[in-house]
Amino acid sequence: MSRLSTQALTLAYEDRTVVADLDLAVPDGEVTVIVGPNACGKSTTLRALGRLLKPKSGSVLLDGASLATLPTKRIAQQIGLLPQTPVAPEAITVADLVSRGRQPHQHWWQQWSDEDERAVSEAMTRTDVADLAERSVDELSGGQRQRVWIAMALAQETELLLLDEPTTYLDISHQVEVLDLVRQLADTPFKGDKGDKGRTVVVVLHDLNQAARYADHLVAMKSGRVVAAGPPSEVVTADLVREVFGLDCVVVPDPVTGSPLVVPGAPWKAS
Amino acid sequence: MTTTSVPVRPAGYSVLRAGPARFLVHRRAVAVASVLVLLLAASCVAYLCVGEAFVPPGEVVKVLLGQSSPDELVVGELRLPRLVVGLLVGLAFGVAGALIQTVARNPLASPDVIGISQGASALTVAAMTFGITSYSVLPYLSVAGGLLAAALVYLFAWRGGLHATRFVLIGIGFAIALRSVTTLFMTKGDYLVAQQAQIWMTGSLNGRGWPETEVLAPVLLLLVPAIAWAARAQRTVSLDDDTATALGVRLGRVRLGLVALGVVLAAVATGAAGPVDFVALLAPQIARRMTRTAQIPLVSSALTGAVIVVLADLLARRLFSPTELPVGVLTAAVGAPYLIWLIIRSRTVGGTS
Ligand SMILES: Nc1ncnc2c1ncn2[C@@H]1O[C@H](COP(=O)(O)OP(=O)(O)OP(=O)(O)O)[C@@H](O)[C@H]1O
Ligand SMILES: [Mg+2]
Repeated sequence: MSRLSTQALTLAYEDRTVVADLDLAVPDGEVTVIVGPNACGKSTTLRALGRLLKPKSGSVLLDGASLATLPTKRIAQQIGLLPQTPVAPEAITVADLVSRGRQPHQHWWQQWSDEDERAVSEAMTRTDVADLAERSVDELSGGQRQRVWIAMALAQETELLLLDEPTTYLDISHQVEVLDLVRQLADTPFKGDKGDKGRTVVVVLHDLNQAARYADHLVAMKSGRVVAAGPPSEVVTADLVREVFGLDCVVVPDPVTGSPLVVPGAPWKAS
Repeated sequence: MTTTSVPVRPAGYSVLRAGPARFLVHRRAVAVASVLVLLLAASCVAYLCVGEAFVPPGEVVKVLLGQSSPDELVVGELRLPRLVVGLLVGLAFGVAGALIQTVARNPLASPDVIGISQGASALTVAAMTFGITSYSVLPYLSVAGGLLAAALVYLFAWRGGLHATRFVLIGIGFAIALRSVTTLFMTKGDYLVAQQAQIWMTGSLNGRGWPETEVLAPVLLLLVPAIAWAARAQRTVSLDDDTATALGVRLGRVRLGLVALGVVLAAVATGAAGPVDFVALLAPQIARRMTRTAQIPLVSSALTGAVIVVLADLLARRLFSPTELPVGVLTAAVGAPYLIWLIIRSRTVGGTS
């Protein structure tokens, strides 16, 4: 089942078409990872899924209805999105920024509920930024700032979450922590009801091995088109890596998880 | 991972409960606003005391409370009407500057930089040269001129969305063009008209009183709900476009609303006192430095604007007495160096957009 999907989606900046005729279904309650070379249209696709970009033609469907026809606030209660390079207002504090993620759940007469407080503190704890609450965002390191932004997206508490390269700037242990968190979001029931599905997360990643490790569903893009989509074990092959990235490599099983592990060739060693 | 959460709320904010409603208030902003109210009250009393003849504060307070006093004429009839216009103009410019700077995401943007005051001037001076000199018509013309200029700037800066930097640059272009148009009309018109226009254009409270207040006060009062909305809307508009849209903000509409509100306020204030330069530019930045909020605080901006205009007009009246300077000369004397400093600094930091 897919709450979120695209239909013959074509995306363009002014006259330049970046993504053409894309059909994509995002499986519910799973982690979908999009990979592809720089400038292939990953961020563009993600922005369209979060209705930040109007399609040139085709449509993005949420529960069968085109995003363009839905009220913005209703969408924001369902879909959260972390852009690739968000910009914080000058001198804003961490807790203030994270709490703005609650915007779609608030009204002018209901600016701060107990629910907001719970969501914000939970998001900050999960991303390990609770200790930074009073600090100014300007004064944080790149990785700290990135985690604050992830916290803001989490505080929105949407069933669908789109993250554009959430691991950039992060050291290896925080990368693993963020990706573990992504897995956890998909694996634990949304809103706590036992029978419920987990959250649906779409992540853009550059590290193929992390993608293969954490994805349920992997989408490989090249020049605005989907080259392959499916479970990582089927998608990640030496042939695909050559086709998409133009890179020679060997694919072996990951010694820890058994997922495909891409080991690039070493042309300078070849005789 | 365990989720033992400590309660957090936006740092520096308190939650105000009123029945089922909950409001977020910034503690420091409230403190700053309270201090500004006291400062403004003191400035107003000082304004009413000082003049050709000094009136003791005690008598001034008596007049304000409606008790009989030997100084009723000087304070109540001569100084008070002018003070009220200055106060209202300052409040309006303070809010207008805050709103336009928020939307443009640029401390350089303000109604007197992006062409609104110049539009008001151009139409007013044009009318004066064509023989319309009645003070019952001119304020409406300057409001119309300001709105027209703003609409043009907005239209030219719009390309499938509002680009903040383009908005400011096109505004500056329009400001320069409109200023030349004004100069053209002034050289065309006769000497007396040119002199009258010149005084109006520097922004002067000389001779302003109840008739101006009768226009200004109801407009400001009517706009209070809109300003309350704007204070809330500012929270999200200060984020970048993608993040704000992802949070369900209809950016296009919200921005248009904020700009429109700012432009109306600036135009009405300009209509009453002429373009009192730099108040709208200075007040929001000073206020923000005091409150240290992430967005420009509207109430503190308004109060700062009022304090600036009242004090500047006090000096303008007394500095070279018996000659009275237009209040705009004094605000410009402080504002121009500040503007230059902002430009120099924004070059090194790379601007905030
Ligand atoms: N705002 C924009 N205006 C015009 N062109 C854009 C804009 N944003 C992206 N593009 C262009 O669209 C194409 C796809 O960009 P996109 O950001 O989707 O790539 P990406 O796959 O996310 O790349 P990366 O891995 O570098 O983030 C690029 O050629 C880029 O130059
Ligand atoms: Mg990208």
